[in-house]
Amino acid sequence: MAISVRGVSKTFGDYTALSPIDLEVENGSLTAILGPSGSGKSTLLRVIAGLEKGDTGSVFISGHDATKVPPHRREVGFVFQHYAAFKHMTVAKNIAFGLEIRKRSKAEIKQRVADLISLVQLDGFGDRYPSQLSGGQRQRMALARALAVEPEVLLLDEPFGALDARVRKDLRDWLRRLHDEVHVTTVFVTHDQEEAMEVADTIVVMNHGRIEQIGAPEDVYEHPANEFVMGFMGRVNRIGNALVRPHDIEIRLEPNGITREARVERVVALGFEVRVELVLPDGSPVSAQITRDESKRLRLAPGDSVYVRPSASRVFAGV
Amino acid sequence: MLARYGLRLVALGYLAMLLLIPVGMIVYHTLSSYGASAVWNAMTQPDMVSALELTLKVALIAVPLNTVFGIVFALMIVRTNIPGKALLNAIVDLPFAVSPVVVGFTLILVYGQNGWFGQWFIDHGYPIIFSTPGIVLATIFVSLPFVAREVIPVLREIGTEQEEAATTIGATGWQTFWRITLPSIRWGVVYGIVLTTARAIGEFGAVAVVSGSVIGQTQTLTLTVDSSYQNFDPVGAYAAALELAAIAMCTLFVMNLIKPRRAN
Amino acid sequence: MASEAIPAPRRSILGAAPSGVAPGIAITYLSLIVLLPLAALLWVSTGYGWHQFKEAVTAPDAVAALKLTFGAAFAVVLINGFFGTIVAWVLVRDDFVGKRFVNSVIDLPFALPTIVAGLTLLTLYGPQSPIDLNLAYTRKAVILALLFETMPFVIRSVQPVLLEMERDMEEAAASLGANRFVVFRRIILPTLMPAILSGGTLAFARAIGEYGSVVLLSGNVPFHTEVASVHIKSQIESDYTAGAAALSLVLLGASLLVLLTMNYLQRRGLRHAR
Repeated sequence: MAISVRGVSKTFGDYTALSPIDLEVENGSLTAILGPSGSGKSTLLRVIAGLEKGDTGSVFISGHDATKVPPHRREVGFVFQHYAAFKHMTVAKNIAFGLEIRKRSKAEIKQRVADLISLVQLDGFGDRYPSQLSGGQRQRMALARALAVEPEVLLLDEPFGALDARVRKDLRDWLRRLHDEVHVTTVFVTHDQEEAMEVADTIVVMNHGRIEQIGAPEDVYEHPANEFVMGFMGRVNRIGNALVRPHDIEIRLEPNGITREARVERVVALGFEVRVELVLPDGSPVSAQITRDESKRLRLAPGDSVYVRPSASRVFAGV
Repeated sequence: MLARYGLRLVALGYLAMLLLIPVGMIVYHTLSSYGASAVWNAMTQPDMVSALELTLKVALIAVPLNTVFGIVFALMIVRTNIPGKALLNAIVDLPFAVSPVVVGFTLILVYGQNGWFGQWFIDHGYPIIFSTPGIVLATIFVSLPFVAREVIPVLREIGTEQEEAATTIGATGWQTFWRITLPSIRWGVVYGIVLTTARAIGEFGAVAVVSGSVIGQTQTLTLTVDSSYQNFDPVGAYAAALELAAIAMCTLFVMNLIKPRRAN
Repeated sequence: MASEAIPAPRRSILGAAPSGVAPGIAITYLSLIVLLPLAALLWVSTGYGWHQFKEAVTAPDAVAALKLTFGAAFAVVLINGFFGTIVAWVLVRDDFVGKRFVNSVIDLPFALPTIVAGLTLLTLYGPQSPIDLNLAYTRKAVILALLFETMPFVIRSVQPVLLEMERDMEEAAASLGANRFVVFRRIILPTLMPAILSGGTLAFARAIGEYGSVVLLSGNVPFHTEVASVHIKSQIESDYTAGAAALSLVLLGASLLVLLTMNYLQRRGLRHAR
């Protein structure tokens, strides 16, 4: 196990950030810790890095008990949401920092920095200062800097949160490909479920300081452990007792005995998909998602009366 | 951790040794060595009272002038594109670079008996040097930059949006200034006024050179401290010093009240 | 229906900028108060010619005064730079009872008249010193007075930078293996250095011109504890105008040089600040 968190809890005053957490992260995996703000995900990451100390429990990194080890001796790479670039140093110096304080030879440092600059595709930017780089470039520099010292584990705290949507998408792909190339155990924190599903091979869903579910993206999406996870992983409609995904709502023009009547309120074209907003007789809103082709076939307009049924749904106990 | 307490000790110790103990000393020494009644006696001597009056009178001239013009300078520097506004900025800051003694000296060069215009003023019965107008000019010089310097960053920070909105609604330049700009910079102005006043009341070197230090006539409170000391009148010196220290404490108190509001 | 045009308001360039006679009056004010006297200084000192200037500046007592002044100012900037940074650090990063009080007291040298500062230092460190530490008539007295007067500069200059400094740079350095000393030396100190230098420069400019706080405690012994400002004053009093003008020019030139250099460095340093 690359990372082993056992019974770690943390409170700030009377605010519980983490209830006792147990987590195992496999060697070489790309794990996302996903949750809304206040779920404790950043706190957990920082405890693993040693930037916070848990009130209870222990943290093992590569089999060694790291609980009492200060951050500068933990051999973890950390990437911050706002880059934490050393503003007074050039890009090359930033990346070289970890190697310089480990007193590696000048030649070695030079080579390694050059390799890393190529790896993160910042060729030619070595002598620039962070202030002369774009957000995406700064974050790539931060990654190179963290990887320079060959950490056992790479931790990223909402690494793309401060970037434009377009840059975010590009860097997501890029991170995935980087991980394929470098294979270091990587854990990143995000509140964006699309990002988690796209990049990670394992997702840890957190809420209110607890882990709600751990699994591969498809598992967490198709088989959510509870209502929170289902709602967080994607849009959800509540029909009676059941929770239904928008793309699991079938729309027919004729009833067939097990459908319910509904009225179309709005039809929104979203590129490939079309969102149809409906209202059930009891007034509750339902949001359905159909393909462009289906939409063309049905030819819906606001005010139409249609018939809907969930083709798949989940019911959670205690709802 | 040891480091934390160590640093704290060094910092506080340094401040105590340099700042707190000497100032505490003056209060203690004055009252214990001479007694409160002797000190009060000294403070109410006519010469001492007229020194205080002169000090306040000079401040009452210098502070409003420097406040009004300070705001104008700040507006010119931040809100206009006149050529040479960087130079204007530098000149407004110049008084910080000039030693008080040099300030007094240059005033003598202009207004002294052998100076450029001195004779003219003397002939018309308004000598500058060795009398109050000289003290006023010196005080205005040294206390000039404060309001401008405090207002400039505030002006920069609040930006022109509000003012632009006002003008699109039809406000004239003056209305915009009075109703929009001035209220938003008011704490910067107030803080600047406090600093200007403190400097005006506390000026010594420039005033020492420029005034004749004739007791009762052209002595400010700061000059009184020095002349009493030189004339072996320690009670007088300490009494004047205590008055000035008390004013300084009030200044400090007001400064700290206003400081957080400046940033806004 | 034709719309009524709102009459374009007569406004100056950007928002509420002074227009009309106001700038003219302001410039006149500035010229009369500041530029006129300084022009007189330049005129008079250049009027005496290079030879007189050199003579005045190389006179032994003048040289002694200048050496003491610049030497003491330099020493004071180093000392206050060091301790000032520590004080700023403690005020920003530490917390203790009475911190707010201590923070407000820092500005005391700015609020207290220099002559009163001189008298208080004399009381504690002079002939009647209750702790038996008599520094009157010594050069240490000059240093002490200058330390008092220039103390707030570095502290007030460093504090805002420390407050704004993002902690995650320090955390990043720690995650890369830097212990506390390395973090301070390679991350914090370089970030603070511009502020320390800027505060130090202001302190230097102030220190070389300081008069009121030095004049009582140092005893103004020529060749020993007489600083430049005191020397200039005695030259004025003995009507040696050429000497006073020459030395004034030197002091003025030195502060301007130092302030301009700092200005230039600041603008260069600001490039990397974002």
